[in-house]
Amino acid sequence: MSMDKVQIPWTDSDGKPGFWGALHSLPRRVYHSVFRSRPIPANDLERSQAVAANFFFHLHSAKVQERTLRFKTTLGLGLLSLYTFVILVVTGILLMFYYVPTPVEAYDRMLDLRGAVFFGTFLRNLHRWSAHAMVGLVFLHLMRVFLTGAHKAPREFNWMVGIVLFLLTLLLSFTGYLLPWDQLAFWAIVVGTSIASYAPVVGDELRYVLLGGDSVGAEALLRFYVLHVAVLPVVLTTLIGLHFWRIRKDGGLAKPREK
Amino acid sequence: MLEDKPTYERFPIRPGKTYGLMCVVPTATEATKIETEKQVHAWPAALTRELALFVLTLVILSVVALLFNAPLEEPASRLHPPNPAKAPWYFLGLQEMVAYSAFWGGIGIPGLLVLLALAAPYLERKPGGEGVWFHSSRSAANWVFLGIVGTLLVLTAIGTFFRGENWAFVVPW
Ligand code: HEM
Repeated sequence: MSMDKVQIPWTDSDGKPGFWGALHSLPRRVYHSVFRSRPIPANDLERSQAVAANFFFHLHSAKVQERTLRFKTTLGLGLLSLYTFVILVVTGILLMFYYVPTPVEAYDRMLDLRGAVFFGTFLRNLHRWSAHAMVGLVFLHLMRVFLTGAHKAPREFNWMVGIVLFLLTLLLSFTGYLLPWDQLAFWAIVVGTSIASYAPVVGDELRYVLLGGDSVGAEALLRFYVLHVAVLPVVLTTLIGLHFWRIRKDGGLAKPREK
Repeated sequence: MLEDKPTYERFPIRPGKTYGLMCVVPTATEATKIETEKQVHAWPAALTRELALFVLTLVILSVVALLFNAPLEEPASRLHPPNPAKAPWYFLGLQEMVAYSAFWGGIGIPGLLVLLALAAPYLERKPGGEGVWFHSSRSAANWVFLGIVGTLLVLTAIGTFFRGENWAFVVPW
């Protein structure tokens, strides 16, 4: 069906669009200025473009090995790690609207979340349980990768990126643990950071830098807060980007050799 | 009916660019060494599955968040140390080891484990078994790995459930 044979609606007698025609085609023009492909691609070329031309989708190559989509290959654990992180970022930002990182205010803000903030309890619960889930899921993902031999060449580097991601995940969780400023939080961080002081030679200095003093107090709370809401999430996000990029550069997920 | 094709070029071709990336290097990249096996389009096959998994994750975690409240104890007080004071659960394996030796438990062994983990793919050099669960050619490596993980899990469980006042061994039931 060739275009010029079809009577395009909203055109004047010379086939020029005119004012109404232009208005009529405006939504389409806006749509196609944002998305370079149709919502439901009609053929393989368009399906490929739908992925390649979308900032978020193009983490994927246009085509993927069917095997990598089977649940058994990954148990979905890498994605689950990512998703818990995304949920943590969103709920975490919402929590930031209420939280004040000072010993005087922090605990009261926890009570406010429970009593005065709409959905505050749910928000805090979701953030807390997602954080625990993320630590577990990232570790399970690490186990999946090792037990399927996916850490071996040529994926050594991405495995090391992964180890750093795991350590950062622990640190993120640990720095967040202090923020409610209740007994559970306070003493867990007292115990946790005392482990740092067992490092040879620089142990006590290390703990001092971490806490901003000799004991867990206002400075420590501020440091943990800044690490928790700014430094560590930014670093983790960047490394996750590197991690995903490397998966593609390493040829997609590890695949069995020919028998 | 809204015509769903734009009237102009979707992917403007830049006259300045005369090559694709694959043309600038003489060798094959990692990706192109792959022999073709059954492939599917990322859209919709992969992306719809990924969306479904996200929705599932969100639903499950939301249900958990509706049913169980995050703990909140008394306000922090330097004067009332709990006995025992425990680190978050994922550090209780370390805390358990620290009870035996401060340096080795808290720094030495964890440090060596991290180094070992970073070095693992360089130590296990023989190719084979990639992408296969528990491949027989890798059973030694897998056993070492599972041994370490199992030990850490046992230590974590002891620290979490079996340690009471003054870190004495207690039975939780
Ligand atoms: C924030 C933490 C992490 C996120 C969000 C993440 C995400 C992902 C995702 C989405 C994949 C694709 C395959 C899959 O879903 O399993 C993947 C693959 C991979 N990940 Fe992670 N990961 C994280 C941590 C780790 C850790 C701790 C390790 C190991 C030390 C690791 C090593 C790898 C490797 C080597 C691959 C390629 C696997 C293969 O080729 O089969 N990642 N990661």
